[in-house]
Amino acid sequence: MSEAAYAPPSAEPAAHPIAEFRGVSKRFGEVLAADDLNLSIRTGEFLSFLGPSGCGKTTALRMLAGFESPTSGEVFLDGEVVNDLAPYRRPVNMVFQHYALFPHLTVAQNIGYGLRQRRPKPPRDEIARKVRAALEIVRLEGFENRRIWEMSGGQQQRVALARAIVNEPKLLLLDEPMAALDRKLRKEMQIELQNIQRRLGITFILVTHDQEEALSMSDRICIMRDGRIVQTGTPRELYDQPRNRYVAGFVGTSNFFDGVVERADAYRARVTLGCGIALEGRVLAPVAAGQAVSVSVRPEQIRLARTATGGETGWEVTILNRIFLGEHTEYLVKHDGLGEFMVLTPRQAELSDGPFNAGERLTASWEATSALVLDNDQAPQAN
Amino acid sequence: MTQRGRNLLLLAPAGAWFLVMLVIPLAVVIIFSFGERGPAGGYVPAFTLEQYANLPARWAAFKNTLMLAPAGTLASLLIAYPLAYYLAVRADPRWKTVLLVLVIVPFWTSILIRSYAWIFLLGGRGIPALLDLIGIDNVRLINTPFAVLIGIVYGYLPLMVFPIFVNLDRLDKRLLEASADLGASPWRTFLQVTLPMSLPGIATGCLLVFILLMGEFLIPAILGGGKVFFVGNALVDLFLQSRNWAFGSAVAATLVLLMLVSVTAYMRLIRRLGAQREDVALM
Amino acid sequence: MTKDKDYISKRAFMEELDRYRRGSVTRRHFLGVTGLGTATAVLAASVPALRPRRSWAQGNIGDRVVLATWPNYHDPANFEAFTAATGAAVDMNVFGSNEEMLAKLQAGGSGWDVFVPTNYTITTYVGESLIEPLDLARIPNYDAAAFDPRFAGPGTVDGTVYAVPKNWGTTGFAVNTANLGGLPKPTTWKEFWDITRDAFSGRTMVHDYQLTTIGNALKYFGYSFNSVDTAELAEAEKLLLDAKPHLFAINSDYQPSMRSGDAWMTICWTGDGKQMNRDMPEIEYVLGKEGGELWSDFYAIPKGAPHLDAAYALIDFLLDPAVNAKESLFHGYPTPDKRVDALMPAEVLNDPILYPAAELLDALEFGAAVTLTDPNRAELMARFKSA
Ligand SMILES: Nc1ncnc2c1ncn2[C@@H]1O[C@H](COP(=O)(O)OP(=O)(O)OP(=O)(O)O)[C@@H](O)[C@H]1O
Ligand SMILES: [Mg+2]
Repeated sequence: MSEAAYAPPSAEPAAHPIAEFRGVSKRFGEVLAADDLNLSIRTGEFLSFLGPSGCGKTTALRMLAGFESPTSGEVFLDGEVVNDLAPYRRPVNMVFQHYALFPHLTVAQNIGYGLRQRRPKPPRDEIARKVRAALEIVRLEGFENRRIWEMSGGQQQRVALARAIVNEPKLLLLDEPMAALDRKLRKEMQIELQNIQRRLGITFILVTHDQEEALSMSDRICIMRDGRIVQTGTPRELYDQPRNRYVAGFVGTSNFFDGVVERADAYRARVTLGCGIALEGRVLAPVAAGQAVSVSVRPEQIRLARTATGGETGWEVTILNRIFLGEHTEYLVKHDGLGEFMVLTPRQAELSDGPFNAGERLTASWEATSALVLDNDQAPQAN
Repeated sequence: MTQRGRNLLLLAPAGAWFLVMLVIPLAVVIIFSFGERGPAGGYVPAFTLEQYANLPARWAAFKNTLMLAPAGTLASLLIAYPLAYYLAVRADPRWKTVLLVLVIVPFWTSILIRSYAWIFLLGGRGIPALLDLIGIDNVRLINTPFAVLIGIVYGYLPLMVFPIFVNLDRLDKRLLEASADLGASPWRTFLQVTLPMSLPGIATGCLLVFILLMGEFLIPAILGGGKVFFVGNALVDLFLQSRNWAFGSAVAATLVLLMLVSVTAYMRLIRRLGAQREDVALM
Repeated sequence: MTKDKDYISKRAFMEELDRYRRGSVTRRHFLGVTGLGTATAVLAASVPALRPRRSWAQGNIGDRVVLATWPNYHDPANFEAFTAATGAAVDMNVFGSNEEMLAKLQAGGSGWDVFVPTNYTITTYVGESLIEPLDLARIPNYDAAAFDPRFAGPGTVDGTVYAVPKNWGTTGFAVNTANLGGLPKPTTWKEFWDITRDAFSGRTMVHDYQLTTIGNALKYFGYSFNSVDTAELAEAEKLLLDAKPHLFAINSDYQPSMRSGDAWMTICWTGDGKQMNRDMPEIEYVLGKEGGELWSDFYAIPKGAPHLDAAYALIDFLLDPAVNAKESLFHGYPTPDKRVDALMPAEVLNDPILYPAAELLDALEFGAAVTLTDPNRAELMARFKSA
C-alpha cells in the first residue's frame, strides 16, 4: 500500500471533533459504567483513556464502536448523533482487547475481511494489494497464508492492527492492545503504533491502564475514575497541573503531605499537617481555609544536601534506602514530622555532593513553587 | 513404566472393548456371510459367494436406507440448527439450562413409546383430521416414507442439536462483534463467522445421526407400517424370522461396508470444506 | 403363531405408558414387527422385597421359573398365586413369532424353563433336539382324556409327548362393515384380496407373519394354506406384490388401526376378532370360506431348562382346570380341555367367533411344520416386505 492510499490527516483545523460525548451515561443494572461523559475528540489526535480497572474505559470505547448505546446523552461521530447506529454502519474500527481474530481464516483473510464487506465489493486484486500493504505496515510481510494459531502473541496483535487500519477508518479504537505483550515487545509496539498513527493520520483512541504507555504515546490523556472523566489534557498539563491528588498520583509519582488549609489566596496556600508542621504551596484550583488537601511535591523537585542551603526551608532527614537507577538515584528518606518520602536525584547533582549513603543525615529542600496544594477529596470530580 | 507402556495401559480397556464388541463379531459376520443356511435355519459352514450374489433381493431395503438416511440427516440438521442457534446465542442465559433440559426430556422416555405417539398424530384422527378441517382432505401420513422421516427427525433431533449447541455456545461472541465492527451485517456475520465456526458441530451431529440412521429399524417398523423397509428391518427378519444367518451376515457385512464408504467420503468432504474455508469466507 | 389381545387407544395411551414403565407392557407390534422379542416382563421377581416367603410345604423348586410366551396370554393373578404357593417367581419373556422363539432356542443359552410353541413347530423342535420329552407323571393335572385330540395331537411326536395343550383358535379376517358402503360383506379370501385392491385400497392390513399372510394369499387361488410348491408360491407372490401398494400396513398389531378407523380390514386371530367385535360390533370376524388356519398352542420344556422342577410345577399349576378357566376368561381364547369348558359361562361357549360352526372348522388347516423352515416362504415374505 502506498502511503497515499490512506487519507492524509485532515487539513481542517485540529479543533474539528471527529467524535464527541455529550453528557453520556451508561448504566448496567446497578453499575454506572459511564457517568456524564463530556469529551470531544479532535481529528488526527492520539487520545488515551487512562484509569484503573473497571473505571469504564472499555464502555466508553464500545459506545463509540456501537456495541453499547448510551443510557442517556449523545454520542457524535463526524457531527452526527450515532447513539443507535449499528456497529457495522460506523466508519470506526476497533482493535479488541484480546484481538478477536477469526481462527477459521488465514492472516490475509482476516485482514481482508473488512474490505470484503464493502458494497460494491472491491476487486480481488485490489483487496490483495491492500492486504499486502497493511501487512507491510505492521511488518508481517510473507505471513499471508499463516493460520492465526500459528502466530505469536505479538504477531497476532499486529494482525489485529492491520485488520483494522486496512479499512482506513476515520477513528481507530484500541482497547489495551498491548496488555498481553511482554514489556520489551510492548515498548516496540508502542513506538510502532505511534509511527503508524503519524503516517496514516487516523484518529487513535487508546485505552490503557498503564500510565507510562499513555504518557509516552498520547497527544492527550483522559483520566477516568468510577465512570467519570476526572481531567483531560496533554501529558505535560496533567503532570504539571493535576486537578487533584488522584490525577497527580496517576500521572507520574509524587509525595503527598496531607493536611488542612490554614489560609489561602488565589496563588498560594499555607497548609497545616497532622504533625503540626506548616507547608507553603502553590494553588492551581482555588482552596478555602479548613479544606482537606494534600501538598504534592514531585521527587525530582527535592534536593538533598549535606549542608543546609540558604533561602529554602530545609528538612532534617535520614536516608533509609537508596536505589541506583542509572541516570538517577532514588532515595527514600525520613523526617521526624513529615514522615517518609521519595527523592530523585540526577547523577549530575551527585557529582559534587553525592552519593549519599543509607543512614546519613542530610537536609532536604524544595522551592515553594514546586509544592502544589491539591484537593484531597477521594471522590471523582466533574470535568 | 515407560510412556509407551502407560499409553498402552490407557488404551487397554477401550481396546479390549473394541476387540470383543466389534472386531470379533465383525469377523464372525464376515465368516458367516460366506456360509449357507441350515435346513431348519441357522448357519452351515461353507465357502460360497451365493449370499452376496443374492444381495439384489434386498435392493429395496438398501435403496430406502440410502435415501432416507441422508434425507433424515439433512432434515434433522435444518431443524436442529436454528434451535441450537437460538439456545446458544439468543436464549436468555437464565433459561438456557431449562430449555436445554427440555430438549433432552424426550430422551427420558424410550424411543419406542415416543414413536408410538406419532402413530396417533399421523393416523387418520391426528394431523390428517386437522388438515381435513381446513379443506385439505384425504391426506395419508402414517405408514409412508414421510412418516418415517418425521419419526427420524423427531427421534434424532437432540443428537443433532447438542453438538451444534456446544459448538455455538463456545463460539467467542467477540468474534461476532469483530465482524460487525469490520462492517458485516448480522446475516453476513452469520454466514462468514458463525456458520463456518460451527462446521465441526454440524459435522459431528450429521455423522452421529447418519450412522445411527443407517442401522435404523425401529422407526420404519413403527411408522412405516412394515411398508418402508430399511436394511435394519431386513436384518431383523433374516436373523429372527427366516433365520438365514448366512444371508443375514452378507447383508450386514454389506451395510458395514456401505457405512465405511459413506463415512469416509463424508470425512473427506468435511476436510475439504475445512481446507476451502476461503470459499466460505469469500461468500 | 402370534396372538394379540393388546391395543392402544388414545385414551389408554397414558395407562400404557405407565405399564411400560413398570416393565409389564410388551407391545405386540414392537415384538412382531421388529422381531425384538427380548422385552422381558418380570413379574414378582422385579421387587425382591415383595417376594413371598418360600412355601416349604410344596417342596423346594427354587425361587424362579422362566416362561417364554406370547403377549397378554396369561392372567397375572395366576402367577401371583403360583409364587405365593411355591415361592418361585415367574420371569416372563414375551415373543412375537414362532420363528423368533426358534431363533432364540437355536442360538442357545435361552435360560427358559417353559415355552409356548404352536402346533406346527413342535416337530422341528424335536428334530433339532431343542425340546424335552415330558414326564407326564409330574403333570398330574394333564388328563389326556379330557383334551380334544384334534388340538392335543400335535404335542405327541412318534409316540412321545413333548407338549401339552394350552389354547386353540383360528385365523380369519376382521372387516369394518360400516365402511362397506353397500358392498356385500366379504366371506371368502378371494373377496378379501379383491376388495383390498379395489374399494378398500389403502385400508387393509396383513400380518407381518409368513404363515398367515402367504397362507391366505394361497387361499385366493384355492391352494393349500401350507403350500411350499414353487409354482403356487409364485402365484401367491404375484398377488401379494400386486396388493402391496393397496395395503395400509404389514403389521400384526392391527387392533389400534382397526379401532381408530384408519384400517378397515385385516387378517385377524380369534381373540382379537372377539375383542374388537365386543367393543365395536361393526367390526365382524370372518372365517374365509376357502379355509385358513386352525391352530393350537402348547406348554413345553426346552432342553437344558435350568429350573426343571419349577417348570413342571408351573405347567401343572396352569393346567389345573380352575386356573386354566381363569386364564381363558382373562385372555379370551378357548382351551381344548372339557374340564375347563365345564367351568366356562354359556355365552362364551356359544360364541360363534370363539367356537365356529363345525363346517367352518372343517375347512381349516393346521399350519404345517415345513412352512416354519421352508426358505422359499421366508424369502417370499422378505421380498414382499421389502418390495
Ligand atoms: N455488559 C455489562 N454488563 C454489566 N456490567 C458491565 C458490563 N460491561 C461493563 N460492566 C461494568 O461496568 C464497569 C466498567 O467496565 P469497563 O469494562 O468499561 O471497565 P474498564 O475500564 O474497561 O476495565 P478494564 O481495565 O478492567 O478493562 C465495570 O464495573 C463493569 O463491571
Ligand atoms: Mg476494558
